[in-house]
Amino acid sequence: MGKMLRAVFFGQLRAAEMEHLIERSWYAVTETCLAFTVFRDDFSPRFVALFTLLLFLKCFHWLAEDRIDYMERSPTISWKFHFRALSLMFVLGLLDILFVRHAFYSTMSKGPSVQLVFGFEYEILLTVVMMTFIKYLLHTIDLQSQNPWDNKAVYLLYSELVMGFVRVILYVAFVFIMIKVHTFPLFAIRPMYLTVRAFQKAAQDVILSRRAIRNMNTLYPDATPEELASGDNVCIICREEMTSGCKKLPCNHIFHTSCLRSWFQRQQTCPTCRLEVLRMSRPPHQQQQQQEQQQAPQPQQAQNQNGQAPLDQMQNPFQNMPGMFGGMPFQWNGAAGAMPPPPPFMWQPPPQQQQQQQQAAGTTGQTPSPTSPSSASLTSTAAATTPLEANAQTGGNASTATSSSPSAQVPPFPGFPPFMPGMPGMPGMMPPMFSYGFPSPPSSMAGLSDEELRVMEGIERSNVEARIQWLRDIQALLDGAMVLINQYNSVASQVNSRFSGASPPPVVPISTQQQQASSTTSANWWPAGSGARPKYSSTISNTHTTDSKKERSGSLSSTSEKDEKLIRKEKEGSSVAAGLSQKEEEIPKWSNPREEEHSDEMHEVRKRRLQHFSQQLDTSSSGLESEKNKDMDSSSSDKINPDSEGKH
Amino acid sequence: MAGSALKRLMAEYKQLTLNPPEGIIAGPVDEENFFEWEALIMGPADTCFAGGVFPARLSFPSDYPLSPPKMKFTCEIFHPNIYTDGRVCISILHAPGDDPMGYETSAERWSPVQSVEKILLSVVSMLSEPNDESAANVDAAKTWRDDRKGFDEIAKVTVRKSLGL
Repeated sequence: MGKMLRAVFFGQLRAAEMEHLIERSWYAVTETCLAFTVFRDDFSPRFVALFTLLLFLKCFHWLAEDRIDYMERSPTISWKFHFRALSLMFVLGLLDILFVRHAFYSTMSKGPSVQLVFGFEYEILLTVVMMTFIKYLLHTIDLQSQNPWDNKAVYLLYSELVMGFVRVILYVAFVFIMIKVHTFPLFAIRPMYLTVRAFQKAAQDVILSRRAIRNMNTLYPDATPEELASGDNVCIICREEMTSGCKKLPCNHIFHTSCLRSWFQRQQTCPTCRLEVLRMSRPPHQQQQQQEQQQAPQPQQAQNQNGQAPLDQMQNPFQNMPGMFGGMPFQWNGAAGAMPPPPPFMWQPPPQQQQQQQQAAGTTGQTPSPTSPSSASLTSTAAATTPLEANAQTGGNASTATSSSPSAQVPPFPGFPPFMPGMPGMPGMMPPMFSYGFPSPPSSMAGLSDEELRVMEGIERSNVEARIQWLRDIQALLDGAMVLINQYNSVASQVNSRFSGASPPPVVPISTQQQQASSTTSANWWPAGSGARPKYSSTISNTHTTDSKKERSGSLSSTSEKDEKLIRKEKEGSSVAAGLSQKEEEIPKWSNPREEEHSDEMHEVRKRRLQHFSQQLDTSSSGLESEKNKDMDSSSSDKINPDSEGKH
Repeated sequence: MAGSALKRLMAEYKQLTLNPPEGIIAGPVDEENFFEWEALIMGPADTCFAGGVFPARLSFPSDYPLSPPKMKFTCEIFHPNIYTDGRVCISILHAPGDDPMGYETSAERWSPVQSVEKILLSVVSMLSEPNDESAANVDAAKTWRDDRKGFDEIAKVTVRKSLGL
């Protein structure tokens, strides 16, 4: 009769199904025998028959499961298959429900007996049927549509989680009741253990994959057409060409978003190089923290001195920030302590002023509210496009900043530009908010020894401390920058009032003029820099890729080369106006997880500070202004470029 | 449309038939079911398995590139890394999660980057250089370590058997 039913519902069994069936049957038989020992009192032919029936039905459940799994692999599914599967599941479900009912009523009327076991067994089987049916539905939907259905795996994962939960509850209840009524149900241990483990795994999978996928959606850039066009564009997961919908992992490997998503449901590593996408983001924190600690005192001092701040500040950021920036590439080599002293830059305070001011004219737009360029660059990934965008915003930013604070209108101030190159180092350190630690990653971990990795991973407390320290340092830097802004603001307004004679409200018209001037300046800069800009972007991206490659190969020696490269870059940047574009090239790195969540907060802080300083301004910096004025007088003509001076 | 696993298997089959690696033939058992493959592996030259042709079965899971396939020799073969029932024990066939031997780093485990071709190539290299550190067949590992001549003898016998002699 069994064979007949099998023929009706399954037809010929496949070898794998047969193997599976035999393997599982052994376990089931053993467990049944164990169950006999528990209920040896009411041992009777009827009892044996019931257990045999249970076993028999279990076999059918397993076969149904296997069959539905097979659906996914089979290229063609006939109507006969659908009919068989549906009717089988219907019959099995019905039988299960009947037996559960029977067991329930008999337990209620006659008190607990062996029916208790049957009741639970059939209830478990019922969950199996339900799970099979869900799978069947999902597969059917998948089969109907032409394209692979991305979300199927997600639904499967969740339904598995829910079913696992139900099963765990059933087993726990079962064991509990059995212990109360009879004795410990030895025969239920194995399936119970398996169920608990499956549930635990499902839960873990869901959590980890959610994290990884969220990271993927938020942190990792989409691959650009150029990146896809250059080189091998076959997705290593599905072996198909990548045309669109691709993501680039921090390790520069590109995959289909959908492929990556399904892989992240299993493993949260890069399929190619096994970079752990969840963990790699943490390390920068701690080393950054150390850097920050070295660096923190200076800006703070600058802030305390307040009046003298600009001069100090002018130097300090230059020394610290590029050093910090330079520190970036090799900080994952575990050489936090061995961070080289800031390279001696050509930024010597006195002669550099003119240059800075020229640069400042170009970078104005970004400096008043760094959030906006960075938020723009958050979405755009191509390094080449961002500076353009950011610069395009120049005018707009200046005008929006007008409303918040007059100080933002004064474009050129020397303290800030150096601040920007420093920024790229910072954003990566900030962990996204959603859970304690997904800071953005170092580009490669291959060069690290296990111990270094362990050190990087850190413990919660130290991470939090690092973050707080970091925020404090940012605050200190911002404070310093704001002092500068305000001083320039006041200085510039005085200079301009002298320039334009005696216009009663001198600040507003002049600053708008300046704003125009600055925007035209920056516009004028473009043609000059336009030749250099693409070149820069390409070289920079090249150095980045080679850097990461080097790191991947684990060569620590590359650090010194990088240092040289950076210095060279800085030199180029400082010597010509094209340095502008170079500076701006760095800005895309700003686009960052940290900025993402902190932008609101930061914005608030910045606003408050602006207000705070505009109040302080009058009292604190007036003494210094007269001194500075002479400087500014000469430099202001430089700062407003020859081209734009005509318009002025 | 069937799943991505099927597509990828078809792509790999095409790739393998277009330019097959030396000493390896592989393809689905029947075109109806792409999830069961048969492979013929030639014993690498200059080893004790030289000249033999060893048939094996590969069975792929339905989520194939995400989970590794299983490989099983269908002939008798005496080798430290092949179970007596023919199952092949190499690290790239193990999913990173479970560690049956407790020694493999995740770097050498399965990942979607691997393919049928790479599996078969590593099986070939496994045939030429058995790894007696993690023996699937302890007898074979012991023979390989202590009695290389005896191992060669047994290998010769398996080679002859595989050729039907």
